[in-house]
Amino acid sequence: MADAAAAAGASGSGTRSGSKQSTNPADNYYLARRRTLQVVVSSLLTEAGFESAEKASVETLTEMLQSYISEIGRSAKSYCEHTARTQPTLSDIVVTLVEMGFNVDTLPAYAKRSQRMVITAPPVTNQPVTPKALTAGQNRPHPPHIPSHFPEFPDPHTYIKTPTYREPVSDYQVLREKAASQRRDVERALTRFMAKTGETQSLFKDDVSTFPLIAARPFTIPYLTALLPSELEMQQMEETDSSEQDEQTDTENLALHISTDDSGAEKENASVLQQNPSLSGSRNGEENIIDNPYLRPVKKPKIRRKKSLS
Amino acid sequence: MPPAGLELARMNRKKGDKGFESPRPYKLTHQVVCINNINFQRKSVVGFVELTIFPTVANLNRIKLNSKQCRIYRVRVNDLEAAFIYNDPTLEVCHNESKQRNLNYFSNAYAAAVSAVDPDAGNGELCIKVPSELWKHVDELKVLKIHINFSLDQPKGGLHFVVPNVEGSMAERGAHVFSCGYQNSTRFWFPCVDSYSELCTWKLEFTVDAAMVAVSSGDLVETVYTHDMRKKTFHYMLTIPTAASNIAVAMGPFEILVDPYMHEVTHFCLPQLLPLLKHTTSYLHEVFEFYEEILTCRYPYSCFKTVFIDEAYVEVAAYASMSIFSTNLLHSAMIIDETPLTRRCLAQSLAQQFFGCFISRMSWSDEWVLKGISGYIYGLWMKKTFGVNEYRHWIKEELDKIVMYELKTGGVLLHPIFGGGKEKDNPASHLHFSIKHPHTLSWEYYTMFQCKAHLVMRLIENRISMEFMLQVFNKLLSLASTASSQKFQSHMWSQMLVSTSGFLKSISNVSGKDIQPLIKQWVDQSGVVKFYGSFAFNRKRNVLELEIKQDYTSPGTQKYVGPLKVTVQELDGSFNHTLQIEENSLKHDIPCHSKSRRNKKKKIPLMNGEEVDMDLSAMDADSPLLWIRIDPDMSVLRKVEFEQADFMWQYQLRYERDVVAQQESISALEKFPTPASRLALTDILEQEQCFYRVRMSACFCLAKIANSMVSTWTGPPAMKSLFTRMFCCKTCPNIVKTNNFMSFQSYFLQKTMPVAMALLRDVHNLCPKEVLMFILDLIKYNDNRKNKFSDNYYRAEMIDALANSVTPAVSVNNEVRTLDNLNPDVRLILEEITRFLNMEKLLPSYRHTITVSCLRAIRVLQKNGHVPSDPTLFKSYAEYGHFVDIRIAALEAVVDYTKVDRSYEELQWLLNMIQNDPVPYVRHKILNMLTKNPPFTKNMESPLCSEALVDQLWKLMNSGTSHDWRLRCGAVDLYFTLFGLSRPSCLPLPELGLVLNLKEKKAVLNPTIIPEAVAGSQEAASNLGSHTPLVGFPHPFSSSQDEEEIDMDTVHDSQAFISHHLNMLERPSTPGLSKYRPASCRSALIPQHSSGGDGTPTTKPQWSMELTRKGAGKEQPPLEVGVHPAAAALSVFTKETASSRHGDHHHHHHHEHKKKKKKHKHRHKHRHKHDSKDKDKGPFPLASPASGRSVRSPSLSD
Repeated sequence: MADAAAAAGASGSGTRSGSKQSTNPADNYYLARRRTLQVVVSSLLTEAGFESAEKASVETLTEMLQSYISEIGRSAKSYCEHTARTQPTLSDIVVTLVEMGFNVDTLPAYAKRSQRMVITAPPVTNQPVTPKALTAGQNRPHPPHIPSHFPEFPDPHTYIKTPTYREPVSDYQVLREKAASQRRDVERALTRFMAKTGETQSLFKDDVSTFPLIAARPFTIPYLTALLPSELEMQQMEETDSSEQDEQTDTENLALHISTDDSGAEKENASVLQQNPSLSGSRNGEENIIDNPYLRPVKKPKIRRKKSLS
Repeated sequence: MPPAGLELARMNRKKGDKGFESPRPYKLTHQVVCINNINFQRKSVVGFVELTIFPTVANLNRIKLNSKQCRIYRVRVNDLEAAFIYNDPTLEVCHNESKQRNLNYFSNAYAAAVSAVDPDAGNGELCIKVPSELWKHVDELKVLKIHINFSLDQPKGGLHFVVPNVEGSMAERGAHVFSCGYQNSTRFWFPCVDSYSELCTWKLEFTVDAAMVAVSSGDLVETVYTHDMRKKTFHYMLTIPTAASNIAVAMGPFEILVDPYMHEVTHFCLPQLLPLLKHTTSYLHEVFEFYEEILTCRYPYSCFKTVFIDEAYVEVAAYASMSIFSTNLLHSAMIIDETPLTRRCLAQSLAQQFFGCFISRMSWSDEWVLKGISGYIYGLWMKKTFGVNEYRHWIKEELDKIVMYELKTGGVLLHPIFGGGKEKDNPASHLHFSIKHPHTLSWEYYTMFQCKAHLVMRLIENRISMEFMLQVFNKLLSLASTASSQKFQSHMWSQMLVSTSGFLKSISNVSGKDIQPLIKQWVDQSGVVKFYGSFAFNRKRNVLELEIKQDYTSPGTQKYVGPLKVTVQELDGSFNHTLQIEENSLKHDIPCHSKSRRNKKKKIPLMNGEEVDMDLSAMDADSPLLWIRIDPDMSVLRKVEFEQADFMWQYQLRYERDVVAQQESISALEKFPTPASRLALTDILEQEQCFYRVRMSACFCLAKIANSMVSTWTGPPAMKSLFTRMFCCKTCPNIVKTNNFMSFQSYFLQKTMPVAMALLRDVHNLCPKEVLMFILDLIKYNDNRKNKFSDNYYRAEMIDALANSVTPAVSVNNEVRTLDNLNPDVRLILEEITRFLNMEKLLPSYRHTITVSCLRAIRVLQKNGHVPSDPTLFKSYAEYGHFVDIRIAALEAVVDYTKVDRSYEELQWLLNMIQNDPVPYVRHKILNMLTKNPPFTKNMESPLCSEALVDQLWKLMNSGTSHDWRLRCGAVDLYFTLFGLSRPSCLPLPELGLVLNLKEKKAVLNPTIIPEAVAGSQEAASNLGSHTPLVGFPHPFSSSQDEEEIDMDTVHDSQAFISHHLNMLERPSTPGLSKYRPASCRSALIPQHSSGGDGTPTTKPQWSMELTRKGAGKEQPPLEVGVHPAAAALSVFTKETASSRHGDHHHHHHHEHKKKKKKHKHRHKHRHKHDSKDKDKGPFPLASPASGRSVRSPSLSD
């Protein structure tokens, strides 16, 4: 129980008090936490109006609080891992609290209660002995929002990056060359891989590996692959699509306008006169409703209906 | 239908001799087709048809209809059960197994068979007996309703099922079915009068799966669910009288697209292709507008449907109010090359909607009018859409094609007239097939026929002006639409049929011009004109002396008499002269306008009014002539070979504005490999205003010239610097710019130049390393990322270029090709091909153009000995399931392999595919490719040429291809290419005498056989008195019965006979006898076989012979068992040789030898001569295997 609580507490509470003088660091942690919790329980009791408490009852309450916090940590960890994360987020905690029957909404008000007591930071007894050998540069001071008892920043060289700049390749020829050979290499590697992993054909009976041809495989619907643009092309098309569309419709419309402008109306009238009223009728009134027999709903069968037709 | 209409109809028929005369004793007015069950799994169809007919003669008791491969369950006439007989002589053309294998004979028999079921002759496969209860009814000429229940099971032709083998329901799998075929092929999928001249109104019903759509001719009236709600019935009505041959259907899970511009137009495509369909059809409305405008006539049907289907029979098929296209015509906006081709297909099909579907033809001999008009208006559309240059270029291309074909085969006749069956009138004796029926035509011939038809229409236009031409079309259309609206006056419907005479009459009415000479020249007779022109300039007289000769004796040519336009470009301008070509005048003097001096530096006016500066230093100082063109407007179907100096061709190329002239000068300049030609071509290449196709052909010409001048060529390889300047980066000239194909002209040039460059050769006849590296760099640096068009065609052409650069491998004493001795250049090429081909598997290109090019390139490498020749790869790509273009390319390689390696195995593989492949187009194409690139030809020794192959091919065309007209004609073509018209040379020799006997009037002895034949008989003769196998006789005779057949005296005779006949052949033989000789001779084989086989008594009365012969079709095979084929053949040989001499002599001869059997055969032969005369008279020649059975069929004769 204690071990589990220790593990949960470590990640759940995030309070990493400095270690005591004890030989076993785990014990040190445990004791420090225990002490802190006792302080918390005691202050809560004071807050609630108790003036004194038996040691046993304080111990019991401490035990309960520790279990509660451990459970929050354990449960939050599960939620966090459930969503494929390693770092719990606030929502994990919230869900955990809700799950444990805690009304989260009351929390902010409780946190801001007037009579709350502020607990002082745990006393830091002795600084952990850090190997000084590799210090380089000044460690950054903590920004104001990080409590001072938190560990210091690591040495700057472990996180500060110094970008190095090379002269950018702007030579067109080299770029093209590079792009070409890169593409060729990728293509070759890819096709070789495909050839290695699949069936192959060869032009030479004695050598099947130098010019391996991926074996021809018939398709069940060959026209689909042959006619539909590949995804790569589709992508490309989308990129150039908007501009292209504009241009195209422009030119098309131009041609259309020319023909319709001078003779369009006349022609339409003439054709109405000629014949085929149904056809011209549909041409005129096409604006809003498309009346095409293939778009009409399919009729329900009627009894006797088909007989009369055929 | 009121009978009054019929009265009128008959009156019409009496008075109007020019009107349509139906070959049938009845008039069809309405037909119902109902297909109520389609099973995609089993590929079967069940349905019925109902024909409403009005008898036109009182004693109508038999009704002949067309029907092929349908199983007919039941026929009812006015609800009374009717007896019927189904006989299709085209199923098996020659019934009895003769060893003759003579194509001439086959063609005659096939024509007879087609004739015997030809609806235009009132015939049909299905003969229905009108029940006697109805005779009285018929006598009153009252309506008859013929109800036929039929089914189709796994149809091999006419209706094509595409059922992809994947999971899911048929609709999910994209399974579909559509009607297809060549000419009138509707009879393959429902019983009908399958003629273009029998029009009627239609009611069509198709019940399909609820997830599917049935698209058919006419208006979709309604769609109704079946009672179980799992299927839908599509009801179509076609009120415009239409021929059965123009009815089509396509059923499948199509995506529906209503044309956004014309809502009565609906497009259909297979699932997933809708975006492509949208793009592809977005242009169609413009075609509509164009045709309606020039014809001043609305589109005749009230709706139009386009259906794009897989495994198409032809790319475009037009039917009444719908067209069926190959799905492979669909393309996205990124594809450049396919776009104009697809638009052409759309326009073509639409032109045929007007002429071909709406207006139909009276008879086969009027086909040219329809094909001509639709082709002609399609040409007008081309002119408007792609410009005059493209149009003229197309016309020139078509003209060159038809000229080449006619000169090769001996002529295409547009309007064949068949008089009385006399073979003298046979207009196509130079061909190996009959042109009497569309179904006997070679596909190539038919293609050329269409080409010639529209060219002739153009000639007519030249004569009467386009305005009149369009008026004539309008008149035809308005007559037809008036007639079509006469719903109840079916006699009027014949106005919707066009005939040659009607068309010509319209022309003379409208234009008032007499075009009879033109028609006589180009329509009523075959052949083209071949001009040879040369000239001299007479300085004294300032006259151009033009000499124009004609060759009108070669096959396929004809003599031209009439006007001929000649354009002369002089210094002072361009002048047209019209010469009269007459019988004997060869020389024409043309006065020149210019006074031959050009010191005045003035501009030279061109034909189009333009004035240009020219550098005149190249020209002859004495002559003012710049160039001369004969028949510049292509107003004669001709080939012109004109001689003029190289500088004149160069001027013509540079300054003549007509693309045809430029094209002509380019092909002429090939013969003048000079720096000046080089310069002229380079200039043209660079000239942006020049037509791109001219520039493209200039590339190839330049390559040829460069190769001819290889020893004196200076500077970089031809076109390289030009290409660099035009398409490569300014800063780094070895790198091509990233692709931008916005300008199509330069795109086409960019594609073509490397292909032409790769044809360059250095002094060692190798492709220069520099060029190869250049092309490899183009491939390497090709970058299409910024391009909005696909570069698949471009990349494919780069591979073509690589293939073009390949030269034959230097082979050291025939070593086996291995990787180790691979030429390093070839290694680079192979590297690219491998990579491209493999990339295609991962990122396929549009229509797999790159795979196609790679396969071709691999074959080139194989053929040139760089890579071991092996068809395995191609065979795997040729399998069903690959995209059709890939398959065809692979098959082409296999065909080529078969030829080069003389591989029996591959030939068998191909033949097997011809018979079994699921795609009709592929089957057709294999035959076509084999014919174009045959493994051997007649007169050629080849191990492939064997008796077994003859048998196989014979079987293929005789019975194996009866379900597909086109395929059968393709098989005939191949047979002709391999074996020629007469008996194949690889058949056992002794039949030779027979061959001689069978010669058509024009046939000449097979030159490879003559020496052998004589040698053979001589050897035989020299071995008098002993039984020796003849040369070329593989099997010695074993049975005594067979030994009897060897008669040394007869053999001796045969020698005399051969020499006699060789003499005879010098003189023209009498045509009268020869025509039907093949038939009669073949029949003569039968009784002789039977007598030889069973050893019956020798003397038989003639009538019994006749009986044997009649029953031959069935009885003969069993009888033949036991007869050694060679022996039978020999007996024929001896028989024939003897009988062909004077009667007295051989009678005598036989008596001497007491060979009664021989005598009996001999008599029989005589008998047959009579028969052949009979045959000439009767409409159904008794000897014809085709018609024989149907006439005498027992069920009808009672």
